Amino acid sequence: MALFLAYDPSTNPLNTNEWAFPVCEVLHILGFAVAIGTITMVDLRLLGIGMKKESAADLWRDTFPWTLAGLALVLISGPLIFSSDPNMYLRNASFRFKLTMLALALIYNYTIHRWVALKKAPGGLSFLTGAISLALWISVVFGGIFIAFV
Amino acid sequence: MPPEIVQWFQDTALGTAIRESAIVFPVILSLHLTGMGLFGGMILMTDLRLLGIAMTKRPVSDIVNGLRPWKHLGLTLTAGCGILLLWSKAAIYYPNPYLRIKLVLFALIILHALVFRSVYRNVTDLDRSPVIPGRAKLAAALSLALWLSVLTAGRWIGYWEPKGAPAQAAQVVVN
Repeated sequence: MALFLAYDPSTNPLNTNEWAFPVCEVLHILGFAVAIGTITMVDLRLLGIGMKKESAADLWRDTFPWTLAGLALVLISGPLIFSSDPNMYLRNASFRFKLTMLALALIYNYTIHRWVALKKAPGGLSFLTGAISLALWISVVFGGIFIAFV
Repeated sequence: MPPEIVQWFQDTALGTAIRESAIVFPVILSLHLTGMGLFGGMILMTDLRLLGIAMTKRPVSDIVNGLRPWKHLGLTLTAGCGILLLWSKAAIYYPNPYLRIKLVLFALIILHALVFRSVYRNVTDLDRSPVIPGRAKLAAALSLALWLSVLTAGRWIGYWEPKGAPAQAAQVVVN
């Protein structure tokens, strides 16, 4: 954290160029829409309420590159947005919450979520896995928006 | 729309309650973004499937028909929250050119749905077709362009401030 305290963001292009910051935000929203949207497709199947013509395993495999592309967009635009005012973000309780939930959601997605989607898991376990996935990702979105309100 | 009407919307009990609550406004805004997160990506996947770029191992009809009810749910959630946000700050947003652009884009999206109705209704025909016809690809490409424009215009709403207004006014409009 001390590393950032000495950083003066006033010359950061995100703060000196009128367009740079909102462009990063648009890419951030686009990225999470693609990432979370494709994860939700798998979740709907795990919950047993949507995409029933496909198996969860097929959905997982076919959405995999798109989820990754969306996450890449988020993980590039996010740190750029962060660099515009690192000290504000580091002190922000909602930002810390968001980052914690993001870390949990990412680990969950590529361990338990992946495993349950690819194996033929029993209905109850599938349902629980999909529900936890949705809850994790929704909490990341809420954490992100509340950065501006805490 | 005369300014008195937008001021009336903003001054209603509902508008005032949303605007002045420290928690209700950000919760509705979060739900607006949650709607984009859960379901906005599905619009992209539908269009990318029609373009033959994504999920090509799955039949077109499975993707288009399977995602349709969820996209409708997402649009209802996102647009419903958007209307509430707009309602609560109607007079503030009223002169914003990016809001007007966004509303025009929505009109174009409705027009798009009417013009390309047959593409999405008869999507099972595409399963039997060896190549996806140009008309379906055009529909998908236009849909992508329109929704990306809506997203961009929506984010830009927060960065516009009226000429000569004090800096504080911009703070109110942001987000």
